[in-house]
Amino acid sequence: MPYLTTSQEYLEQSALLLEAYPDSRITTKYSFPSERPSEKAHRAKSAARKGDATTETSTAPVAALELKTFNAEAGICLKYRTNKAAEVSRLMTGLGKLASGADVASLGVSGTADVEMVDAPAVEEVSKGQPQGQQAQGGKGKKKGGKGKR
Amino acid sequence: MAPHMGNDEFFSSLTELLSKSSQKSRGSVFLTQKPLIDGVSSGQPSILIRASNGNTDAKRPTDKDGKIAKTKASKASKVKFSTVVAADQLEAFYTRYADVCKAGMTGLKKRDRSKRKAKGKGAAKATKA
Repeated sequence: MPYLTTSQEYLEQSALLLEAYPDSRITTKYSFPSERPSEKAHRAKSAARKGDATTETSTAPVAALELKTFNAEAGICLKYRTNKAAEVSRLMTGLGKLASGADVASLGVSGTADVEMVDAPAVEEVSKGQPQGQQAQGGKGKKKGGKGKR
Repeated sequence: MAPHMGNDEFFSSLTELLSKSSQKSRGSVFLTQKPLIDGVSSGQPSILIRASNGNTDAKRPTDKDGKIAKTKASKASKVKFSTVVAADQLEAFYTRYADVCKAGMTGLKKRDRSKRKAKGKGAAKATKA
């Protein structure tokens, strides 16, 4: 099953799945990448060579957080994966909202500015007069470019 | 299976589990949530929250002499606990849950502020010029 690209998308899709199948399960997995002993030794060595404590933290393996909403009946599995600490808090409160049965609308506040989309057609109408002029200008520009090349 | 913990006990166990994993920089922590739907009562169901380190207590594999095979995985023991959150306590629970997770998941990437600082300086210069 594919990973969703943004946390907002994940939460929205999960809300839809939970609406359809309230008994879906959400799993949060916090995990470190598995390391073979040889890799671990190599990492320790390179950290020791560089010497100071600051490099030690930067060479430590970065953990990952994976969120998964799954329903066996529907066979749907939604996933989202991140390694950013800054996202944890927002994701967990998002899961809280999902748990208390929030719908998509109440989740959509933070991100994608769906509300403002309503105004878009009006703006298009206003600017409809202009594109022709712009296109003409664009055409001139291209011709100039062509001359320049020769 | 062990009976469910109270919420407070759950949080202290979870803090311990997360910090253990983060300190060692290995292993996983699994957290699941699902509603307890009994099919009788209507309205908001309670939420069952489970935490586990993903290990198993299943019998360790034995070789033909009946000795326990020494594998690294078999040394780690299973940790598993759960709690039930009533519908009216969900908000308070999740606020705390988010805090515990944020504090415990230290293995994740910290926000990189150095780049943004550099960008900010660059932007400031641009506006001056």
